[in-house]
Parts: sequence; C-alpha cells; structure tokens
Amino acid sequence: MFMYITFTETTVQIDLWRDYVLSSSKWIWRIIGILSVAATLLLIAGFAYAVQDINHPQGSKLNLSAPSAKPEGTAPGIIEQKKELKAAVIGDSLAKGTGDSTGSGFARRSVTKLAEATGKKVTLLNNLGINGLTTSGLLPKLREQGTRYVLGEADIILLSIGGNDLFQGADLLSGSQTGTAANDGEAADLDPDELLEALPQAKKQLQQILEQIRKINPGALIIYVGLYNPFGDVKDLKVAGNQAVSEWNSAALTVINKYDNMTLVPTFDLFQHHLNKYLSTDHFHPNDQGYERIAERIVQGML
Amino acid sequence: MINLLPLVKNETIKIIKKKRFYVVLLILVVLVPMFTYAQMRSAERTREKFHGDWRLEVQQQITDNENSLSSDRVPDEWKKFRKIFIQQLQYYLDHDVNPNEPNGVTFTREFLDNSISLFIPLLVMAIASDIVSGERTSGTIKMLLTRPVKRWKVLLSKLIALVMYNSLIVVATVIITYLISGAVFGYKGFTIPVFTGFLIRGSEVDMSAVHAVPQWEYLLMQAGLAWCVSLVVGVLAFMVSVLVRSTAASIVVMMAALIAGSILTNMASAWSSAKYLFMVNLQLTNYLSGTPAPIEGMSLTFSLIVLTVWGAAAIAISFLVFTKRDILN
Repeated sequence: MFMYITFTETTVQIDLWRDYVLSSSKWIWRIIGILSVAATLLLIAGFAYAVQDINHPQGSKLNLSAPSAKPEGTAPGIIEQKKELKAAVIGDSLAKGTGDSTGSGFARRSVTKLAEATGKKVTLLNNLGINGLTTSGLLPKLREQGTRYVLGEADIILLSIGGNDLFQGADLLSGSQTGTAANDGEAADLDPDELLEALPQAKKQLQQILEQIRKINPGALIIYVGLYNPFGDVKDLKVAGNQAVSEWNSAALTVINKYDNMTLVPTFDLFQHHLNKYLSTDHFHPNDQGYERIAERIVQGML
Repeated sequence: MINLLPLVKNETIKIIKKKRFYVVLLILVVLVPMFTYAQMRSAERTREKFHGDWRLEVQQQITDNENSLSSDRVPDEWKKFRKIFIQQLQYYLDHDVNPNEPNGVTFTREFLDNSISLFIPLLVMAIASDIVSGERTSGTIKMLLTRPVKRWKVLLSKLIALVMYNSLIVVATVIITYLISGAVFGYKGFTIPVFTGFLIRGSEVDMSAVHAVPQWEYLLMQAGLAWCVSLVVGVLAFMVSVLVRSTAASIVVMMAALIAGSILTNMASAWSSAKYLFMVNLQLTNYLSGTPAPIEGMSLTFSLIVLTVWGAAAIAISFLVFTKRDILN
C-alpha cells in the first residue's frame, strides 16, 4: 500500500515535468522558428542589396549636400580683443616640427608662450605641416575644403613654406634618416646656380599662397616664418644660399607689406652664426632650442 | 520533408536547452559594453583635442596620413592604403559629412566592420563546433541514429538549425550592440549619409560611382555580408565538428584557421595565392567601405566565389563522412 502511493506520486510528478518540458519546447520552437526565418530573410535581402550595390554602384544620387558655406574668416579683430585665441599651422616640416625631439615645433611652443604672456586661453586647432611640402604642393591644398575650414576658424595662422623649394633634395635626403654623415654629399648635390634658378617661379607661388590665405581668412593674423640658410657653413653654398634666402624673404615682404594683419618673422639672423647649436642632427631642421628661439620671436611680434 | 521538420525542431530546442545560444548572448552582453566604453574614452579624448569640431579632426587625420607617405619606413602597400584613405576622407570633408559622427548606429556600423572576420564567426562557432561532436562526446549520437530516420536527414536537420541560429546571432549582434552603445552615444543616426561605391584603381580612387546611402541601409548591407561570412565559417566549423570527435578540438581547429586569416591579411600581399584561402576573404565589408583588399586581384565576386567553393566543399565532406562512417565511440 505504501509502495503504491509513492509510485503514483512519482508518475504524477513525471507527467507534470513532461508537460512542462513539452510546452516550453513548443514555445521555444515557435519563437526561434519565426524569429530565425524573419532574420534570415532580412539578412538575405541585405546581402543581395550589398552585392548589387558593390558590383553595380550608381553615382547619381549625390545631391544631398552641397558643401555648406562655412564661416569664412573671423571678423576683423585683433589679438587684444579676443578672449580666446585659436591658432592653426600650415606648411612644411618646420611647421610640423621635424627635428624637435619633443615634437612640439615652433607651433606648440609659440602657442604655449602666447598663453603664458597674455593669460588668455590659446589653443592650437590643427597642425597641417607636411614634411617636404613645397609651394607647388601647398597651393592645391588651399583649395581643399578641410584646409580652408581650418584656416577659416583660426585667429592666428602660422605659415612656414619655401625651404624645400630652395633647398630641394636636402629635405628628401634628411628624411631618409642618414643623419649628418650624408651632409657633405647633400651639399655637393646642391648646385649654387640651381638654387637661384628655382627662385622666380617659387617666389610667385609664395605670393599666391599669402594672397590665398588672406582671402580665405581676411580677419586672422598671418605670421610667415622667414627662411634661414641651413648651408651657411658650406663654402660653396654660403653666398648663394644667403642671397637666395634674402631674396625670398623680400619677395614675401612685398605681399606682406600690403596688409595690416600680416607679419614676417625673420629667422635668418638666429641661425646665421650658430648653425651647429640650433640645427638638429640632420643639419637642415632646427633642434629643440632652434624652435624655441623661433617661437620666442613669433610671440614677441604679436604682443 | 514531412519528417525533417520535427528533426529540425528537435535540434533547435536542443541548442536552447544546452544553453549554447544563451552563451552567445551572454558574451555579447559582456563584451559590447567594454568596446563601447573604450570607444567612448577615445572619442572623448579626441573631442577634447579638437573642441568637438569633427572637421578639424578629419583634416588632421588627412595631414597625419599625408605625412606618413613621405616616410621611407612605411611599406609601399600601406602608402597605397593611406593614399586611398586620404582621398575618401577628403571626399567626406568636401561634402560636409562627418564620417564618424558619434551615435549608436555609427558605433554599430564600425563594430560590424571590425567583427565580421573574427568576432561574429567566433560566436557562430560556439554553436557550430558543438553541433555534432557534442553528441559524440556525450554519446547521445547513438540514440539519435538508432531512430528510424536516414542519417543524411539527421545531419541536414542540424545544418538547418545552424543556418537559423546563424541568422539569429547576426541580428542579435546588431541589436545588442545598438542598444548598449546607444545608451552612451544616443540612439539616433539612422538617416546619416554614408558614402559607398569608391572604385579603387591602383592607388587612385574613382569617385564617379560614389553615392550616399542612409546609414540604416548601409547597416543592413553590412549585416547581410556578415551573415554570409559567418554562414561559411559556421559550415566549415560544422564540417570539422563532424570530422573531429571532441568539441574542444573542433573549436581549436577553427580558431587557428581564423586567426591565421587575420594574420595573413596583414602580411600576405606578396603571396598572392593566399587569396584562395577562405580566411583571407572574410572582410567583405571592405568592399562596401572602399578599403582596398589585402591582395591584388580580389573583388567581391572573387571573395564570394572562394567562400562558396569552400562552403560547398565543407557541406559535401560533412555529408559523405557522416553517412558512411561507423559510429563506434
């Protein structure tokens, strides 16, 4: 009798358990079944769309957004009036800060110095310096939307260009990390006559660049960092180099003098007699101290 | 067909009861917040640097890439990639569209790009690698095969269940990623335009076929491609699961193949016949975004053919072996 009762109780329990399992299974099957079929159909549709779109792309639907007009130029205001200053840097390896072991270059250094001197918040928006850039490389960049936007946003535009136009080849060689050893070879490759030959064309382009930037941002303070002669200690190149650099700087000045808000920061004298002290190991770019001195000059001119 | 459906039902329920699918969901729920957090931190940092202005950020990205082009230490193939990348970024800037506007949908899109070749296939493997070998490990395969059903039907029902769960996993990945990242970045962004149709010729990009697609359509396309990729990987894992007795071994085999693939795509551009390996062809979303393929001569059609051949071969081998072999255990 006792045994019988337990037996029925167990069967009842098993029955209940089976009911539970069966009904939950039924639901699992229904839900998973419906969901997975729906998901599969959706994904196959997506897959077919993707294959169609990749293999037969149609480039006609591009009317959604013409480049929207951007704030071209800050209102003509001077450094003193603004509470917050935004700087942008554009140009060659000097602008980028090549040779500076901290990577700051004159850009970041002058921004820090200006902030210290004025007590204002000065931010560096972008550093658009590109190693090895020449005037012919920079001109098309000034037509790009992104570059124009950055320059348009800035209150202070620092520009460094021309070194590669004049001393072409030197920068490329130093880019390959050959250090000072290649320096003599480098200098030998540079023909003093060629140095002057490249001048007229490059000068014209420099003037176009300055005019262009002025047009992009009529209100900003534009600071052009003048050239120095990195080969002042190489006999054959000293005179030709100096001549080219001074001619270059005066070409820049003819444009710069036309506008109120433009400055040339001379660096020629900074390096003239101290090449070893202020140039980095590639004997072309400034080193930390060299950049520091350029930055000092830049800030002095602004205050 | 009539007695196939109950078998599929049986397999579907087994996967749920064995908690395989829950494990996949759990992995997603645990890992996606981590990715979201990492992304949030890096987005915060760049936003600080660029004052929340994406145009400045994109322009700096362009300049940085241009700078690396002049370095002699950057391999030529990378330069080609970067040149193409620069042109695409320039295109976004020219049309005033932010390529990485922070929101849940964009995050999901980027997540799919990054997970299509490894993470999603891995999730599918969690089910596929166990589907046959698991029954052999536990010995239940004998019970299954003593039923009066043809062996190929048993295997086919497992394959169908795998296809079903594959779709569910891809959709679940998209939904979970969107829900979790949306909580941080916001749930908007379905209609943001995304550019596609960059035709790559050498290191130049042909822009003539570029067109904008609303982001949700782009996401749908990505999910479709991810589905295709994970299906092929799943089928391969399925085959390995038939061939190998233990689940652990079959997972290891497939993992090794997938990881080999991600290593190969990074360095195999010189070894051009590597393009016939399935694991090099998994990054299908690259064709959508216009990222150049790792090896010369690869296109979407090529990759799909390679994947189809591998997948078909895997199915053929699975059925041949499973129907012929003695189950001793």
